[in-house]
Amino acid sequence: MDSCLTVEREIEKVLSKFGGLHDHGVDTLDTYITTLENLKKELNEASPDSEVQVTQSMVLNQTGHRILEAAGRMGQEHKDLHSTVSKVGKMIDRNFVSEFSAVFTESSFENEQAQELLNEIVCEHFLRQGKLEIAEALNKEANLNLDPMQMEPFLELHRILGALKRRTLQPALSWTAANRDKLEMQGSCLEFKLHRLQFIELVSQGPESQSQILQYARNFARFADRHSRDIQVLMGSLLYIRQGIENSPYAFLLDPINWEEICDVFTRDACALMGMSVESPLSVSIRAGCKALPPLLNIRQVMQQRQVSGVWTSKDELPVEIDLGAEHRYHSIFACPILRQQSTEHNPPVRLICGHVISRDALHKLASGNKVKCPYCPVEQNPDDAKVVVF
Amino acid sequence: MADIKALEHPTLKVPYELLNKKFRSAQKTIDREISKLQGAGGELEVCLQRPQVTIGEVTKALDNMVEKLKLLKRKADESITEELDTARMIKRRVDHLKEAEHLQDHTRPLWQKKRLDRMLVEYFLRAGYYNTALKLAQHSDIEDLTNIDLFMTSKAIEESLINHETAPCLNWCYENKSKLRKLRSSLEFKLRQQEFIEMIRSNCRIDAVRHARKYFSNLSEDCHMSEVQRVMGLLAFSPDTQISQYKELLDPERWTELVSQFRYENFKLHQLNNASVFTVTLQAGLSALKTPYCYKIEGNSKNAECPVCSRNLNKLGEHLPYAHCANSKLICHISGQALNEHNPPMMLPNGYVYGCNALEEMAIQNEGKVMCPRSREAFHIEKCEKVFVM
Repeated sequence: MDSCLTVEREIEKVLSKFGGLHDHGVDTLDTYITTLENLKKELNEASPDSEVQVTQSMVLNQTGHRILEAAGRMGQEHKDLHSTVSKVGKMIDRNFVSEFSAVFTESSFENEQAQELLNEIVCEHFLRQGKLEIAEALNKEANLNLDPMQMEPFLELHRILGALKRRTLQPALSWTAANRDKLEMQGSCLEFKLHRLQFIELVSQGPESQSQILQYARNFARFADRHSRDIQVLMGSLLYIRQGIENSPYAFLLDPINWEEICDVFTRDACALMGMSVESPLSVSIRAGCKALPPLLNIRQVMQQRQVSGVWTSKDELPVEIDLGAEHRYHSIFACPILRQQSTEHNPPVRLICGHVISRDALHKLASGNKVKCPYCPVEQNPDDAKVVVF
Repeated sequence: MADIKALEHPTLKVPYELLNKKFRSAQKTIDREISKLQGAGGELEVCLQRPQVTIGEVTKALDNMVEKLKLLKRKADESITEELDTARMIKRRVDHLKEAEHLQDHTRPLWQKKRLDRMLVEYFLRAGYYNTALKLAQHSDIEDLTNIDLFMTSKAIEESLINHETAPCLNWCYENKSKLRKLRSSLEFKLRQQEFIEMIRSNCRIDAVRHARKYFSNLSEDCHMSEVQRVMGLLAFSPDTQISQYKELLDPERWTELVSQFRYENFKLHQLNNASVFTVTLQAGLSALKTPYCYKIEGNSKNAECPVCSRNLNKLGEHLPYAHCANSKLICHISGQALNEHNPPMMLPNGYVYGCNALEEMAIQNEGKVMCPRSREAFHIEKCEKVFVM
């Protein structure tokens, strides 16, 4: 953060100095303009053909000199600000990284196919956010020829989500009805939750709609086995319909958090149904990139000092471990604590009978005959008793 | 905050270069007006020194001086205001970057989204998708934070080049003359050369010779000499010549080359890297996320939430290095939560490992039974054994 502050300090200097020069310079010039105009007025009190008096001439001469001096000074003052300006540039260069070609392999992103892929990814990213206009502009300018059919699901989801945010349930209800089987397979309770909200909405309208409420309650028949407890609660709320459920033990049903929850549930279940991630993969990757770049740039410096070229030269793996935090873990990775290697199909993790896990190669290395001592505890055992585990 | 240091150089450097340019041109303007004022002052002095000078004559000289003074005032006012505006733009960007330090959980996503949008705008602009870039910038209200103006000027120039016009680009060369010379740019020569070729094409050979005399004689240093000779050779041939060397010169594709050369030099001029921040960050991100499991074909080792497992990014990241992993990073296959002391890993009798939390939850709902979601076998939870990963 110091880097921002240093630049800010310099730019403040530029602002105050230029501001000062501006105000002061313009003022001075203004004063001289008035002085000259006054002198002119004084002169013109006499007739234009009369001769200029010596005193007048001297005053004029002096004023002229003063003006030129002042103007010259202003020019010089402006020129002197150059160092202030260039300091800003120096500070930017000193505090920010200007060159990252060493952590970039052009070859993998520059070719036409990669370019097209990239544009498609970006386009999808906008579609996910429902920014149809931008997606279409990109589609056109980058000649993507995206199939409208491909775009439609995203837009539909976005429309439904928009409706949910406005507390309109109908579009979501028809969508769940259309995808009922698949949702059931996932064990989703989205449809029940939607009906539940609709029911609460009706109940909160008061006793006038009672017959309608009872009619609607039939929708719950299908969910009886999975959500019996919830359904009982909903029916219980009917007892208080006359005095208004906001003053009843069932007031929690009206909590606006239910609406926030339904948006999340919808997004999660709908994305799962379509095999998509909940968050835009592009956003996640960029966030990971922002975390990964600083350590990569650091290691580049070290590597350059030791005259190793390029961070990406080791074709298989990055030169450093980058901790992206638990939120960015999507696969279990087991690294053998003995060999410091990632497990592979040929070298899978095995669990010793004491519960400690090492890789199979490590086990073989540690074993002598039919005995092996666990490297972490005193238990001695037969290596054949170790069991392959899958994380 | 290391990410700001690593990523935001162009955000600040480009407007700085603009400020620098504004400063130079302001200095030039002010100096010019001052010298005009000095001229007027000199005239006044001379006039006053003349014997028996009349008030009328002096008034005239005075008027002249007032006029020059007013002009200086106006120009100085304008130039310095412009400089201040540019400096304020840098300040605004610094302020925005400073916000990153105090982000809270509910403001962070918004700031990060803005950052991605800024990166994307820059990426679009570089790729020449000006319309998309403008729309996105307006939509996310980040016009101030991106270098749109810079690219919009270049857009106009690129379009003129595509229409086979050299004037706007030459004008640009003139404006940035000293810097281009430092970069040893050949752009201006290339433009003049193209003009010459166009004259040949339309068979205005006399004009072409005149043009060559005017521009090639002073331009051509050693490095351009052979180029000049080659181009001059065109004079001997008709525009539809089949000799490959000259046919090449007459190829209209050369205009497209000029466009890319211009784009490249414009980047260099503003200290922009050849690669956009967006692509560099994306590469780093993909690599840091990439695991061998994202590319396994058999089994269901892919995870729908993992960006590298998603179809297009998977293809894009194919040739990037994998993340380096010296320590185990385990997650529960059922819940996606990390396996650690709060959620210890448990092994089912079939060797599959899951988090204790997910298994217990399943057992409560299922009368103590747990089902392995990968092998579809059911076990009693008491058959699960603890696993210790160092």
